Amino acid sequence: MSEYANLSICRDAQLTIKKAHEDGVETVWDRFKKQEPQCGYCELGLSCRICVMGPCRIDPFGDGPQYGVCGADAEIMVARNLARMIAAGAASHSDHGRELVEVLYKIGQGKAPGYSIRDTGKLKQLAAEYGIDAAGLSNEVIAQRLAEAMMEDYGMKKKKITLINRAPKQRLELWEKLKVIPRGIDRETSETMHRTHMGVDNDYVSLLLHAVRNSLADGYGGSMIGTELSDIIFGTPQPGFSEVNLGVLKDDEVNILVHGHSPVVSEMVVLAVEDKEMLELAKSKGAKGINLAGLCCTGNELMMRKKIPMAGNHLMTELTMVTGAVESIIVDYQCIMPSLGQVSQCYHTKLYSTSDKAKFPFMEHVEFTPENAKEQAFRIVRESVENFPRRNKEKVYIPTSPVKNMTGFSVESIVGALGGSITPLIDAIKAGKIKGAVGVVGCNNPKIKQDYGHVELIKRLIANDILVLTTGCVNVAAGKAGLQVPEAKELAGPGLREVCGLLNIPPSLHVGSCVDNSRIIVIACALANAIGVDIDKLPLAAAAPEWYSEKAATIAFYAMASGIFTVLGVMPPIAGSKKITELATSGLNDVFGACFAVEPDPAKVAELIINHITEKRKGLGLKT
Amino acid sequence: MKVVVVKPERCVGCLQCRFACAVAHSKSGSPYAAPYETVLSKPRIHIGLSKNKDPFPNKCRHCDPAPCEMACLTKAIFKEPSTGTVLINPDRCINCGMCSMACPFGVVRYHFYPNNRMAAHKCDQCIARQKEGIAPACVEVCKVGALRFEDYNKVMDRDTDELSTLVYKGIRTGAQEKSSYQSLTEYKHGLEELRRRQS
Repeated sequence: MSEYANLSICRDAQLTIKKAHEDGVETVWDRFKKQEPQCGYCELGLSCRICVMGPCRIDPFGDGPQYGVCGADAEIMVARNLARMIAAGAASHSDHGRELVEVLYKIGQGKAPGYSIRDTGKLKQLAAEYGIDAAGLSNEVIAQRLAEAMMEDYGMKKKKITLINRAPKQRLELWEKLKVIPRGIDRETSETMHRTHMGVDNDYVSLLLHAVRNSLADGYGGSMIGTELSDIIFGTPQPGFSEVNLGVLKDDEVNILVHGHSPVVSEMVVLAVEDKEMLELAKSKGAKGINLAGLCCTGNELMMRKKIPMAGNHLMTELTMVTGAVESIIVDYQCIMPSLGQVSQCYHTKLYSTSDKAKFPFMEHVEFTPENAKEQAFRIVRESVENFPRRNKEKVYIPTSPVKNMTGFSVESIVGALGGSITPLIDAIKAGKIKGAVGVVGCNNPKIKQDYGHVELIKRLIANDILVLTTGCVNVAAGKAGLQVPEAKELAGPGLREVCGLLNIPPSLHVGSCVDNSRIIVIACALANAIGVDIDKLPLAAAAPEWYSEKAATIAFYAMASGIFTVLGVMPPIAGSKKITELATSGLNDVFGACFAVEPDPAKVAELIINHITEKRKGLGLKT
Repeated sequence: MKVVVVKPERCVGCLQCRFACAVAHSKSGSPYAAPYETVLSKPRIHIGLSKNKDPFPNKCRHCDPAPCEMACLTKAIFKEPSTGTVLINPDRCINCGMCSMACPFGVVRYHFYPNNRMAAHKCDQCIARQKEGIAPACVEVCKVGALRFEDYNKVMDRDTDELSTLVYKGIRTGAQEKSSYQSLTEYKHGLEELRRRQS
């Protein structure tokens, strides 16, 4: 087993990787091994495939070429590549947000059966932020007007996106001075693609400043709209309990998994699995019921709002099928490995893609639109139930029992837990009971032992009285390790333990999916505004110990630009440019009041963050 | 004895071997830190280009007897007996250039070493890695099998097997099947023909 213990700290992962190998199934770890050693030029950001005068490489050892065919040096090449990475991340989150705007618009028009407005309070609050006079208007009309106003955020009519105004005054002035206020969500991504075309922007500072603007268009634009509208349409999350790990699969029920990032499809699946007729059908096929569980951020969305359990995070997705107990996986978009189809060929699992922008090998495509979502969800659930008799019951292997996980900490529910105002949190920070807060976010990456970076870091932070907020894949990691239940307060330092005990909350709070990193930004802005300082003065930090995706790079950028010190566990492809590496790891401090650090060892990351928080506390005149 | 066997027809010119070589011979051994060292590590494998722009990975063949070793007056070049590797002791080198003139492959260059002294510089067949039982860095990183670390006779045995397969498949049909590499070469030849006609 030691071979498998090197790949993941999770018992369920280790046991199922072993079974995968016995079954002759190739996993992400096998494919990673075959790719090693990976391309050194690409790791340093020194390869460019933008035009076909190339592809070009720059030799970092000074022996070979120092310029691409167009004349781009290491700085230009690295900056162009990085900017495109940020653009791709911003595009992904923002396209996700756009889907929710479309659903809201159709709800307003009465063309989205199955969907409704669940949080009218938030709808009205958002409408007010967008300057819509909602007095005397029906919810449907407000929904339409709000959706239209948000569509303008995506376009080129406005000088700046609306929700950027949530940032503290000082930060807005700084951004204004640096000319990085996003004008339109899609505009900034489009402009990045333009600037990085051969022969446009060839000043690395100018390129990177635009990349910052592009990332802010995500953090305060696409992502924030995604989160807020999901709350309006599906309900603002409230605290409650759920379960995590492969043990949430049931050996006597139909297991359906939802995977991807959007709640738009999965919420309809929730409706369908709770339907009486479907349950009857399941019983007629010999199953005791229908068990729905989540993967990745679609799972996070459902867990936050519906307390639906999660079977795993990014690197667990292939392994779910290895249990032999999964009737179907329904995917929407983002982080769905194309290998899933290949793995499904070895088991009875049926795979369904639902978005016209995300199709996969060996998956049946059942297209969802706001108009037909409900009937399509019923169709897939019916087919999944009918797939139950094909399960080979002797070969079912569910390796572990599930672990309890507390969830549902939206900004509203955190404020609710504090008694209706953020002041008690500020008091706890001032008194030093809570030294600071850290968002531990991001993905899994086979370059790092699965969940090791997350869990070790969180344990060290809470032991030092630092409150942790988790999103995305980190939620599952922390949950599996038992860090997200109120009893985990015993692992926290004395101050944090007292606060958790009083409020009956865990020291590590699940705040949502990866678009919900915008919730962390909202909390940071609210704290800064309440204290009357800029965000970079607060004892806050962010960490992405196991990040892999372009979206994570964008999140890191908007966190840094908001004034939050951000530690990455995997090196981004920038080391080929000395100037950009120096800028990222120190120079940015003079510009945004925050910078990046790269450190794979969670013990050292904790040290960096604790030192940073101590320094910020000193700056505010708080005891350390 | 194992050596780095080059199959030039498989090389795609990706330059990964050069990168891995420079990192393997750097002080830190890390791809992120090596470009930041005071004395930059230089690759010891070179990709030549034929007239038709076909790449050829060229490196020290560790000849026996080695012309460079025979030409070295200061005995800076010597043979390590257990692996048959021709090595350079940079401290004895006087930069006279005799070895590079004697080398039939043109692979002896002159570069700075970490002690900031210039000396003759060429492939050491990753002797340090070999002692740990790992193949040379260039071989490990080569994705297309253009560089292999093997015994010559074994490679030739395998080539004989491959040839036998080809013979039984019918050499003519085998030769008619175009590999993607051949298509690329033909494309390049086409381009050249076009250029020739235009000029």
